[in-house]
Amino acid sequence: MNELPRGCSIRQESDDDVKMRNTAAIAILAVIASPLCLLRAQAPLAESRSVWDGVYTEDQAMRGEPIYRKECASCHGEMLTGGESSPPLTGGAFLANWNGLTMGDLFDRIRKTMPQSAPGRLTRQQDADILAFMLSVNKFPAGKTELYRQSEMLKEIRFESAKPSPKK
Amino acid sequence: MPKKNPNRFHFFLFTFLAGLFCWPASAYAQIHPKDTEWPSYAADLAGTRYRPLDQINATNFSDLEIAWRIKTDNFGDRPEYKLEGTPLMVNGVLYATAGSRRAVIALDPATGELLWTHGEHEGKRGGAAPRQLSGRGLAYWSDGREGRILYVTPGFRLICLDAKTGVRIPSFGNNGEVDLKLNDDQDIFPDLIIGEIGIQSAPVVAKDTVIIGAAFREGMTPKSMRNNKGYVRGFDVRTGKRLWIFHTIPKKGEFGLDTWEKGSAEYTGNTGVWTQITVDEQLGLVYLPVESPTSDFYGGHRPGNNLFGETLVCVDLKTGERKWHFQLVHHPLWDMDISSAPILADITVDGKPVKAVAQPTKQGFLYVFERMTGKPIWPIPERPVEVGNVPGETYSPTQPIPTKPAAYSRNGVSIDDLIDFTPALRERAKEIASKYHLGPVYTPPTVSKLEGPLGTLTMGTASGGTNWPGGSYDPETHNVYVYACNSCIEPIGLVPAPKEVSDIAYIAGTAGKEVEVLHGPGENAGADSPKPPKRRTGGGYVSLNIDGLPMVKPPYGTITAINLDKGEFVWQIAHGETPDVVRNYEALKGMKIPRTGQETYNIGTLVTKTLVIAGEGHVTTTADHPRGAMLRAYDKTTGKEVGAVYMPAPQTGSPMTYMLNGKQYIVVAVSGGSYSGEYIAYTLPSTGE
Repeated sequence: MNELPRGCSIRQESDDDVKMRNTAAIAILAVIASPLCLLRAQAPLAESRSVWDGVYTEDQAMRGEPIYRKECASCHGEMLTGGESSPPLTGGAFLANWNGLTMGDLFDRIRKTMPQSAPGRLTRQQDADILAFMLSVNKFPAGKTELYRQSEMLKEIRFESAKPSPKK
Repeated sequence: MPKKNPNRFHFFLFTFLAGLFCWPASAYAQIHPKDTEWPSYAADLAGTRYRPLDQINATNFSDLEIAWRIKTDNFGDRPEYKLEGTPLMVNGVLYATAGSRRAVIALDPATGELLWTHGEHEGKRGGAAPRQLSGRGLAYWSDGREGRILYVTPGFRLICLDAKTGVRIPSFGNNGEVDLKLNDDQDIFPDLIIGEIGIQSAPVVAKDTVIIGAAFREGMTPKSMRNNKGYVRGFDVRTGKRLWIFHTIPKKGEFGLDTWEKGSAEYTGNTGVWTQITVDEQLGLVYLPVESPTSDFYGGHRPGNNLFGETLVCVDLKTGERKWHFQLVHHPLWDMDISSAPILADITVDGKPVKAVAQPTKQGFLYVFERMTGKPIWPIPERPVEVGNVPGETYSPTQPIPTKPAAYSRNGVSIDDLIDFTPALRERAKEIASKYHLGPVYTPPTVSKLEGPLGTLTMGTASGGTNWPGGSYDPETHNVYVYACNSCIEPIGLVPAPKEVSDIAYIAGTAGKEVEVLHGPGENAGADSPKPPKRRTGGGYVSLNIDGLPMVKPPYGTITAINLDKGEFVWQIAHGETPDVVRNYEALKGMKIPRTGQETYNIGTLVTKTLVIAGEGHVTTTADHPRGAMLRAYDKTTGKEVGAVYMPAPQTGSPMTYMLNGKQYIVVAVSGGSYSGEYIAYTLPSTGE
């Protein structure tokens, strides 16, 4: 999570599962300390990229579509709208709950838990292609380079639900 | 009892009600006399999610601190990110299901210390299960001497454990387990390992009968019109012996078979009860909320009304025999599973006492019946609805529409519903809507066509209104409190299914992305593989968001208080902070937009002596709190927010509360995004004395 402001350690810890365990105080501290961190947290580093910067290609999304249909659609739906037990992969709840995280977080989540019957069965390339397809359905713009398949590199791409205002 | 709360009367009331609600609570000597338990999934068998506690109240809710927390990552071979459980607290022990193994954990309710854990390793049978992860919870039973915990594994086996030790009870079933894929009046196909049937809801135990429903995979694009059937069974809690079965799809000679024309009862499946079951132990009646039959959106292979699909059925607790039923949706085409626990309420209508049952739904109607007879409290007349023209489909020309209470969430889409923050946004929403067929509740699906319509734009269907968390009921005010998604839009378009994909004529889909024979994984995916023909991907996908903004007006999600004596709203509020995308949207900066609530379907409520408590389903980052979600408390008489406390992730399981050794706790399951499942217990800070 390199886009987090340095020197704002409480917020960094609150995003870290391991440190969160049994650490009741941190959440409370975070509430208290948050206004101090917020201003910095919202200012991205100059060179970081977001999902609005064309981080996948059309071709890649096209490769991802049949894989999505085969591996994901039976639970998450042909239209990615989810079901009773499967969260939607498009729309308000999806965008809100990934907003502020990175593509690396989303990618790792897929790697760790999907497909449900055999997590991690797909290759990193296939998972990246599915993710490219998800981005295209969510109308994030395609670009000239493919979405990475390395978690570390994907962590450099911020997931932002709102379209940024045009650069001046 | 902290000094802050001087209300001694309530203190005595706790004691009295604890005894009343929590029988048999006296099994173990160590139980504190003033404890208030939460002995079943929805607090009681009436589905109320109500406890008359008020140590945590409007004056101190925002002071809540984390008493303990437990991550569920290690209760399974991988973390889970959708923890939906509600724990029980009985006899000074907290029980919950947890983790991708659906382990049972027993915790010290004051400290969170793990007392015991039990997991079942089911191999391929577990991996192939249609409903995986930790499920919603478990059931507790006691005869006053011994205590038992009952739960259903992902692989559909009913397990009975000693509540003290977590060890299987050998005298129950086959060494503590009953294989639910057997003795079900059907042969589960293709076999017991991968045969599709399971359940994720918590079992219910009433008197000495355990009642279990059934669930299947999501039914939007089924592979076949044929599937296993979701019968409901009762088992003896002492022996595991099957006592009765209710055929949710009638068998030969049974009532309702004629609502399945052309022999379709033979092969149609699903029609299970996948959500919570409610019981009136005094009357000996069980209330079954039944889901949709096979194929959610196309019913051409099941002509007729399809009893007991999307029907509230009342059966006898001892025999499983049907007492009455009311079909909410004839010939279901909208995935309007009855998705949550029926709520039992003793109310007063026109000065007369009435034993009622109230059913929240996806379509935003609260159906209210006399619970002994099934007679509607307020008329529910059959009204004409639009008849569609999907080839091979048959339609019910009418549907029953309640006259009271009014719908508590949107159940159709009209131009009036579209976003109106600015004229430009509204134009863009109208542009999207123009590609679809619009209409009120029960507007049928259409075949998807590139030139339009792409489908029917619906709300209050698959994920709308109230889903599995259901509502709460307050026996003091006679109010039902219920969360609803008021903006969960579902486009329902149908495309012909190629034979290789399904034997059903039409499945959910959108024109412009042909349903193709699916490639094997990796095929044409390597660097040197031939490139597939150029085609703009996402062609058939229309985003129903505008730069991330919902395409309909707020409120996006609501909590409504509905008084059952009168059938009228007491209050309705937007639940949940305005999403970041709305607050940060450039064109909306400077506009005063009241809190919008959030678009999410899995929010459960808790009602106490004074409060309605519910967490948020979205993460937000605001000036008041870092990235996270809030657990909010509302005055139950006015709906006014009186406090909020920070959670690191959205609420994904409904909150519960209990009183232990003079301290009230609230436990809630949170997870989502990159935050794996965690139960968090909140309590008030110590007073320093």
